[in-house]
Amino acid sequence: MMTRKTKKTLSHIILYIVLILIAVLTLFPLLWGVSASLRDDSELYTYVMPFSIHTLIPVKWTAKSYVDLFTVYGFLKPVLNTVLVTAISIAFGCVLNSVAAFAFAMFEFRFKKPLFSLVLISFMIPFEAIALPLYRVADKMKMVDTFQGMILPSIASGLVLFLFVQFFKDIPADLLDAARIDGANIGKIYSSILIPLSQPVFITAGLMIFMDQWNSYLWPLLIARSKDIRTIQIALTAFNTEHSTAWSALYAGSMFSALIPLLLFLPLQKYFVQGITSSGVKG
Amino acid sequence: MLHLSKKMRFLPYVLIAPAFLLICIFKLYPIVETALESLFVDSSFTLDTYKSLFSDSSFWNSLWITLKINIVMIPLQVCLAFIVALLVNSTVKGIGIFRTVFYLPVTISITVGCLVWNIMLNPDSGVVNSFLNLLGIPSQDFFISKSQALWCIVLVATWKGVGYWMMFILAGLKNVDIAIYESAKIDGAGWFTTIWKITIPLIKKVLLFVFVANTTANILLFVPMQVITNGGPQESTNVLMFEAYQSAFQYGDRGRASAIVMVLLLLIVCICLFQAALLNENDKSEKVRVK
Repeated sequence: MMTRKTKKTLSHIILYIVLILIAVLTLFPLLWGVSASLRDDSELYTYVMPFSIHTLIPVKWTAKSYVDLFTVYGFLKPVLNTVLVTAISIAFGCVLNSVAAFAFAMFEFRFKKPLFSLVLISFMIPFEAIALPLYRVADKMKMVDTFQGMILPSIASGLVLFLFVQFFKDIPADLLDAARIDGANIGKIYSSILIPLSQPVFITAGLMIFMDQWNSYLWPLLIARSKDIRTIQIALTAFNTEHSTAWSALYAGSMFSALIPLLLFLPLQKYFVQGITSSGVKG
Repeated sequence: MLHLSKKMRFLPYVLIAPAFLLICIFKLYPIVETALESLFVDSSFTLDTYKSLFSDSSFWNSLWITLKINIVMIPLQVCLAFIVALLVNSTVKGIGIFRTVFYLPVTISITVGCLVWNIMLNPDSGVVNSFLNLLGIPSQDFFISKSQALWCIVLVATWKGVGYWMMFILAGLKNVDIAIYESAKIDGAGWFTTIWKITIPLIKKVLLFVFVANTTANILLFVPMQVITNGGPQESTNVLMFEAYQSAFQYGDRGRASAIVMVLLLLIVCICLFQAALLNENDKSEKVRVK
């Protein structure tokens, strides 16, 4: 008969083994990508078969593919485009959604319920479902192949608006009323009370918009026709066909694209996870 | 609620106007546009678009592939997410690191995921085949095999998705009062019984949300087909969403594309209603049992 203690240790060991197995499966593509991006092009496929230690670990380490990525393959342009699109989307997305959420959370007004229902419906419709018809709308508005076309459709987000509303509802209206009595106007209340109090939700919203825009593929694929305005994800998939021999640069580009969200996500993951879960679990 | 003077009555409308207009133009109107486009040809009402769609065997083939991939993928992802959430809900040392690791694929774009997996699953020079050879399993064709390509896409999508759904379920698990588990333990309930009879019913709402959200996301899965398989080999990964994309941008047949999008939307609504009904029924039977 096992004692309780040995039974507990045993179950812990099994748990760790399972966890490590899943972790290896999860991380493998990333580690593989990083390792491939640090290899010389010539050894990229030399050590794949048969399986050996050098299948996973480069023989000759080199950062050449990262340098080539920017010097030879002009990856800087898509990076700057993506940064621009992402930054503008975050700025406008945070302001417009939070201001609207402020109204929904703090004021009573006519047609509030039906208007809010429309917001809720809008975030239950997956983007992919409207992407094709959205292209028609953008086309009519002469926004194909422009930055406006890339940015405008993603600024207003039912999900982000909903997150703000959830958060603002918990802010006591008395506090804001008191500020009103002290002579603060609505703009002042928003900028010097609401924003400081709601920092976590602004971070969450910013991160969500960041992830969406940085990783977005379908919409830029449809709307960014010319090379000048294409974003990282499009440039990466185009790499496949345009430079079919530059495999290590493709790896380098992929890892670069993955690294930036990771750097933001790791320190701020608490907010991000809170954000995505509170949208689904609370309601 | 804040009070507004008569003069300020219009203020809320001003505040919601920018976001609300953008939502209407870019989120809601496109659906109206699709519906109209699928129903009107040369500005006269007709069901011809649907008639020709429904008499088209490649449409039925796409529909079948879409259903096939989702019937496997959705339960698979939700089950895996549930199991992983249970695992990372334990309080052993370093569990936070595992949680973060399992979540990492979520932060990576599906494009990058597809590019890397595509190279790893290359039949001739892919690391996965190399590893299979090591275990004495012959090389597989993966994405270039008619019978395997679809399931390789399931693999990529599951790798990318499970961490995301895990977080929702984990949040649900965290909300369950530990005292309930303790009293179950005292009553002598085993691990499996506890999960089946206590955990699952208690987080049913979260599970349902994950089911529905997962369904709406995966029915429209598109990027792997666009980046890796291009609908092939031999149409084996030609899901409805890809068929719609091709109709619109390859063949320039917007009406057909819109009709397919409408079918997809209808499919999503049906599945959500079905799942909601299922949950309701469970609720009722539970009440009866309690009585």
